[in-house]
Amino acid sequence: MKRKGIAGLVLAGALALVSVASLGGCSSSKETLHIYSWADNFDEQVLKDFESKFNVKVTYDNYANNEDLLAKIKAGGGGYDLIQPSDYMVRTMIENNLLEPLDKNNIPNFENIQESLKNPDFDPGNKYSIVYTSGVTGIAYNKKYVKDTIDSWEDLWDPKYKGKVLLLDDNREVIGMALKKQGHSNSSQDEGEIKSAVDDLKKLLPSVLAFDTDTIKQKMIQEEGWIGTVWSGDAAFISKDNPDVEYVVPKEGGTIFSDNYAIPKGAEHKELAEKFINYMLDPQVSAKNYESIGYSDPNAKAMEFHSEEYRNNHMINLSEEELGRTEWLGDVKDTLQLYDRYWTELKSGR
Amino acid sequence: MRRSKLLITPVLLWLALFLLVPMVIVVVMSLMSRDTLGNVVFHFSLNGYKTFFDSLYLGIYWDTLVLSVVTTVVCLLVSYPLAYFIANASPRVQTWGLVLITIPFWINFLIRTYAWVLLLRTQGVVNTLLIHFGWIQEPLQMLYTKGAVLLGMVYNFIPFMVLPIYVALEQMDKRLLDAASDLGATRWKAFRHITLPQSKSGIMTGCVLVYVSTTGMFVVTDILGGAKSTMISNIIQQQYLGARNWPFGSALSVIFVITSLILILLFNRAMQSRADRAKEGRA
Repeated sequence: MKRKGIAGLVLAGALALVSVASLGGCSSSKETLHIYSWADNFDEQVLKDFESKFNVKVTYDNYANNEDLLAKIKAGGGGYDLIQPSDYMVRTMIENNLLEPLDKNNIPNFENIQESLKNPDFDPGNKYSIVYTSGVTGIAYNKKYVKDTIDSWEDLWDPKYKGKVLLLDDNREVIGMALKKQGHSNSSQDEGEIKSAVDDLKKLLPSVLAFDTDTIKQKMIQEEGWIGTVWSGDAAFISKDNPDVEYVVPKEGGTIFSDNYAIPKGAEHKELAEKFINYMLDPQVSAKNYESIGYSDPNAKAMEFHSEEYRNNHMINLSEEELGRTEWLGDVKDTLQLYDRYWTELKSGR
Repeated sequence: MRRSKLLITPVLLWLALFLLVPMVIVVVMSLMSRDTLGNVVFHFSLNGYKTFFDSLYLGIYWDTLVLSVVTTVVCLLVSYPLAYFIANASPRVQTWGLVLITIPFWINFLIRTYAWVLLLRTQGVVNTLLIHFGWIQEPLQMLYTKGAVLLGMVYNFIPFMVLPIYVALEQMDKRLLDAASDLGATRWKAFRHITLPQSKSGIMTGCVLVYVSTTGMFVVTDILGGAKSTMISNIIQQQYLGARNWPFGSALSVIFVITSLILILLFNRAMQSRADRAKEGRA
């Protein structure tokens, strides 16, 4: 009987610890900017500099995909002041009335942004969003294991790479890739085209090591995967740690994307969030930040502060020719259900 | 009597507020529809339930059941001897055994799961050692397989099995075993007719805990399985997030809860009736 007491106590103690740990968090009297964004999306020093310069605190939570972000913001959760939705998600969030219009008076550095990245289709006049970075989903491969010339999505299907192929864990990206491979739009709403793309992907499935978005970088760096669909900025990040990794935008074209600053409706520290955007768009801060995260810098005035290495990195600064054969992910409306269903089929191996 | 009622009121309120109300919301939502933007609209529909009876989702549900049952059985096979050993050890060893089993609880579940990635990956600890000792030439692909998923599940849920079985064995009246041996029973017979039936409550609790936790798990398949195998909970999560189809996600959740309850009831009934039959046989 006594023994039982001990066992119960140990178990109760363990449970209590778990629950306390999960409740953990802290409060501070300083004004706090709550950022909700992708993993590794900011240089930590740049955030710290912002904290000391404005005497505020910054918290930074991560999401793995746009849909997680949407669900959380829609549920009114999180209490976030600044988010970084991708292009198509900016549109969805505007349609759902989830974003605050930006007060450009607080963001004079908006002027620094390259003209080509201003005024995008998904947010005419940059009413709700400002570009943070952009890139293209292409193929990253490790030259140690992949000796052939890689220039087509078709190369992923090469049996030589069986068990070593990585795909993003994202239905629009992956089905979009297969659609491009077959010469269609990455946002097709035609069931026949989608089905044929998915059938093609089912043939690729035995070669797939893993579906992964968050830690695909680590899988490439550790050489678990040899070849896969990777965002250009991630490829730049990977090749810094593993110089054997190369990147290419396939000849069929790839999906271009951008991540953008936006402020969710009802954000508590809207002005601070705008100050933050403005701070990040300062040419020197900008150079420091993008130099560290290895993504493309949309700041035209920042180029002179960048290292030569950064300016010459073809994974960060894609050529006009490469950008010429890219396509944005469009809104597929109700066809999204079809994408989801086929995606479930694919991932459950049916 | 009145005082005890007063004492349990906060618990009941807590349960009503944080268990019952969300359940009702889920049930109501499962009967609604979805608009083009993915918002839930208050328009009665059974589509969520209809979609489930599609070979695609039924198949995934079946896979989930199989994996959960296998995980439970493996957990039981591993945990019973361990619990038996601890329960019959000296008090000192018992205390240490229990502490060692509970220590992993102090570390976040995700971190423990990622630790397996470091062990199993191609350049991981296990492969490096095996290659170092010359037992293999090429690294083994252990990660991102079904085996890795099973391993992760079993590893995470073993304590849920060991602790209840340990408690049951510990409470057992050991004098029964002496009596059995005095009456000429072999050790195996004594175990089969005394120890095993006496620890049944622990086995049942452990099995239900492990089974329920496994069916609801979705991160292990992502981290150790490379997101290649899909469990019903992955689908539910996907409906709430990626697909933005909350009514379908809710319908799946309702079906999931009901079938789990039925299965657990059947399991309990089966265990119970076997025990009754055993009692009658002896009488």
